[in-house]
Amino acid sequence: MTAAILDGIILGLGFGLLGVGMTLGYGLGGVLNLAYGEFAVLAAIIVAQAISGGIPTVLAAVLGILAAAAAGVLLDLTLMRPVYRQTGGHRVLLGLMLTLGLAFVIEGVLTWRDPLGGLTIDISGKPITFLGVPLAVGSVWAAAIALAVGAALLVFFGATTFGRGVRSVIQDELGARLVGISPSLVRTVIFGLSGALAGLVAVTQSMTSPVTVTGGFNLTVYALIVSVVGGLDSVAGAFLAGVLLGIVNDVSAYYIGSYVSDIVLLGAAALTILVRPRGLLGAYSTVRR
Amino acid sequence: MLEVSTLAAGYLGQKVVEGVDLEIQSGEAVAIIGSNGAGKTTLFRAIVGLLRPMEGRVSLDGRDVTRWPTHRVASAGVAYVPAERHLFPAMSVKTNLALGAYPRRPNREALELVFDIFPALKGRLQQHAGTLSGGQQQMVAVGRALMSQPRLLMLDEPSTGLAPKLAKDAFEALGNLKARGMTLLVAEQQVPLALSIADRGYVLENGHITLEGTPRDLDQNPEVRRAYLGVA
Repeated sequence: MTAAILDGIILGLGFGLLGVGMTLGYGLGGVLNLAYGEFAVLAAIIVAQAISGGIPTVLAAVLGILAAAAAGVLLDLTLMRPVYRQTGGHRVLLGLMLTLGLAFVIEGVLTWRDPLGGLTIDISGKPITFLGVPLAVGSVWAAAIALAVGAALLVFFGATTFGRGVRSVIQDELGARLVGISPSLVRTVIFGLSGALAGLVAVTQSMTSPVTVTGGFNLTVYALIVSVVGGLDSVAGAFLAGVLLGIVNDVSAYYIGSYVSDIVLLGAAALTILVRPRGLLGAYSTVRR
Repeated sequence: MLEVSTLAAGYLGQKVVEGVDLEIQSGEAVAIIGSNGAGKTTLFRAIVGLLRPMEGRVSLDGRDVTRWPTHRVASAGVAYVPAERHLFPAMSVKTNLALGAYPRRPNREALELVFDIFPALKGRLQQHAGTLSGGQQQMVAVGRALMSQPRLLMLDEPSTGLAPKLAKDAFEALGNLKARGMTLLVAEQQVPLALSIADRGYVLENGHITLEGTPRDLDQNPEVRRAYLGVA
């Protein structure tokens, strides 16, 4: 049981990063990026190919993360332009259709070029015992990186001028324009950040289990669930939701079977929308737009 | 400082305001008076770039800013407080004020001015803006605008949603700002309030400027008295 909970927490921290990336895109642009998981897979394949090409692992990871960030910026500057011109339900629907199409394209191209592609980063070393449970070194690294990045994000959005500017656009876009903030610049930067987070999750995930070329859809679904449960406009909420859902996922897989854990997660998301539509820590209803 | 010439603006191809000429000198307080639907908000939105003008020109210190996006107009020193205020509801009063100075760090002098004009905000810095009363929200909205140390402060219907006493307080605060040299452009349908702080006023009727003059001129104009002051 303790092992399942600890594994769940480690998994959940990764979920948290995914959720933050998804949440930001939705809060700023009203877009649920269904290609989000594919950005992670794109990064994973690039890292794997760079490593096999002889580039040191750390440098390869940086390359992959930068590539995913670039994919985010490119998405904002191209496909999303017509989406931002729409309002309300049209914007959400057009955003869903276009990003879903993009997801198919990325997955199609990657499986065509590299059908067996995948990323596993092996960090060797003796397991570290924590609360009587031996944890793989890779898992500990993954958790530590996710925690550090999560803390950095909290500081960025809570205490820096630009980070506050981002939140102001989420809360009242017109108000943000009136104080001199350019919402389109903020969106571009944040789509880049959100892509980078997807790339980072690919790297940390691969330290515990392989990220394969077909794994993007699952990552998108996790990101969606976490952002719904955590709440819009809340980095802390996304992390809390990620950790809770990670625990739920691993404990239900441990006691019942892994086939049930996805259903349990989706159930948790549905329940959140019904009972607490603004999410755990969010200030707004996620069905605002 | 601000010059608007032959401006036309509206929605869906329909002009709401047309042929508007007005100018504001540095240090002046200018009122735009007019009834509901006269086009005051449309005019203001066009000036700050929230609405693209169909004709005419807006210039700031001789620079053409007609097609500038709103955030750029704001950065050039025009702070606009809309009637709906558009605060950041889930952020504290303190953060709302700090964001007024974006992208700079909040300036001590500006903050002192805000507390001087609105001492009531001092005790509410940690409160979320969304939980404030209408009068307090108005104070934060004006305070946030002041944090940018603007060269021109534009207010659309500052009395909106305020009880008569609070509306009077709000205009007293604006008079106070004017006394400290702030340049003001205020749209208001409560004519006596507007004229109480103005050096000059324009009457906007059905999208056109029909009269211009000092508060005294306007106050004694039979048209204004009949239409806005309820005097036969």
